[in-house]
Amino acid sequence: MKQLKIAVVLVLIGGVLTTVAFLMAFYTAEVQQFGTVTFDAPIETVFPVAPDQLQPAEGIAYVRPWFSQKIFYFHVPVAEASFLVLIISAIFAVRFLMTKRAEYDTKSRIAMETSLVFVVLTMITGVLWTKASWGVWWEWEPRLTTYFIMMLMMIAYFVLRNSIEEEERRATYAAVFAILAAINAPLSFMITRVIPSNHPVVFQPGMASSNLMPFIVAQIGMLMIGYGIYVSRMSEERLRERVEIAKETLEG
Amino acid sequence: MARERTSNMSSWRQFKAILKKDIVMELRTKEMLTSMGLYALLVLVVYYITLSQAGADFEVRRIAAGLLWLVFIFTSLLGLNRSLVHEKDQGCLDALLISPTDRPVIFFGKAVGNLIFLLIVEVMIVPLFFFIFLSRPGAASGGPMWMLALALLVGSIGIAGVGTLLATMSVNTKGKDFILAVLFIPIMFPLLLAVVAASAAVLQADPGYVNTYWQMMGIAAGYDAVMLLAAFALYEFVLGA
Repeated sequence: MKQLKIAVVLVLIGGVLTTVAFLMAFYTAEVQQFGTVTFDAPIETVFPVAPDQLQPAEGIAYVRPWFSQKIFYFHVPVAEASFLVLIISAIFAVRFLMTKRAEYDTKSRIAMETSLVFVVLTMITGVLWTKASWGVWWEWEPRLTTYFIMMLMMIAYFVLRNSIEEEERRATYAAVFAILAAINAPLSFMITRVIPSNHPVVFQPGMASSNLMPFIVAQIGMLMIGYGIYVSRMSEERLRERVEIAKETLEG
Repeated sequence: MARERTSNMSSWRQFKAILKKDIVMELRTKEMLTSMGLYALLVLVVYYITLSQAGADFEVRRIAAGLLWLVFIFTSLLGLNRSLVHEKDQGCLDALLISPTDRPVIFFGKAVGNLIFLLIVEVMIVPLFFFIFLSRPGAASGGPMWMLALALLVGSIGIAGVGTLLATMSVNTKGKDFILAVLFIPIMFPLLLAVVAASAAVLQADPGYVNTYWQMMGIAAGYDAVMLLAAFALYEFVLGA
């Protein structure tokens, strides 16, 4: 129960931090020159329409207020959290294969669930940004493709789990697949990187601290929320196990 | 020293025995090759149907590499599933587990068997594919054939190796072939992207294609190395469960 309290507190703090980061993104962060785009004139206003230098030579022009950039402060922390949690899940999977203790299987599964939540959030924010910034909902662009594949692997993980009834076999196969997925994610990241991409690379030398601050705050907040989700799901699992045991004792 | 030598010899013999078992069974029933070959032929017919309205000036060569790999992806899914379903239905996998065979040997035996069947299907299908789709007089010709063959080989090694692991898992589930597809395609994604890019470079032979080809082959080989190692290490756990 103590853990559950910690989880609730973490989710609350995380929520506050993300909200703060959200406000900072709108009120203190400068509009930034992103990745492939270069322009000289500074941009003064808080909610500008994208300047002329950024209008693409052909295709759809940026007609909306340049809100789309603000999604960065949410999108990137979520995406990074998802990668981190996937790796944690794989580490638990390795631990399970080494020890064969059911507790690591549960931990690995819950971590994978948490990661899937983040992946879905990243996909939603990413698609919104793509529409706002590139004028299309989806493009088979390296970063998007990689992420899509990662989501498919996580869904496959749960499909695999659901189709096996024996507990130990399910745990082992799931652990093996989680490890394969964690090895595969960087590989598909690498292969798609070889193809030239127009996904912005945001972290460059000379990034303004007013941009960096909300990002870091959002990242910490997001990790706290992630840990909170993980811990509360874990304690839910533990409670369920206790209920199962209690049921069995009553029946027996 | 002498003892190590005998154990090496016996692993090699075990490997040969498992491989021989698969090949002898195939020679008797001819089931894998007929089903995979026929399936591949049917996919070619489906290609004809899908491309039939594309018009006379449509250059099939631009998408030929993708089409070629599509046949082999579907065919290998079928083949991998069948090869492991046999093992399971006839209780052969259990028997292998009881016998004093090293687990890695089982993995290599099955993977090499699958690789051989896949390669045989490729040898049959590739000339036919060229004959049906790419032999139009006056059409542009591609790069040297050995480059395509190398791309097919490297791709098939990855498919057979990692596919054997995934198929061993999927035959023990409720969904069997469906589960295999769900697991196989995302895991194979980097390899398939790389080998399709390499094959397309050869088939289209645009200027500077040799560089693209070797770059993509490097990635494919890297994938094979990393993922085969992982599959090899994890196979023991899958068999044990």
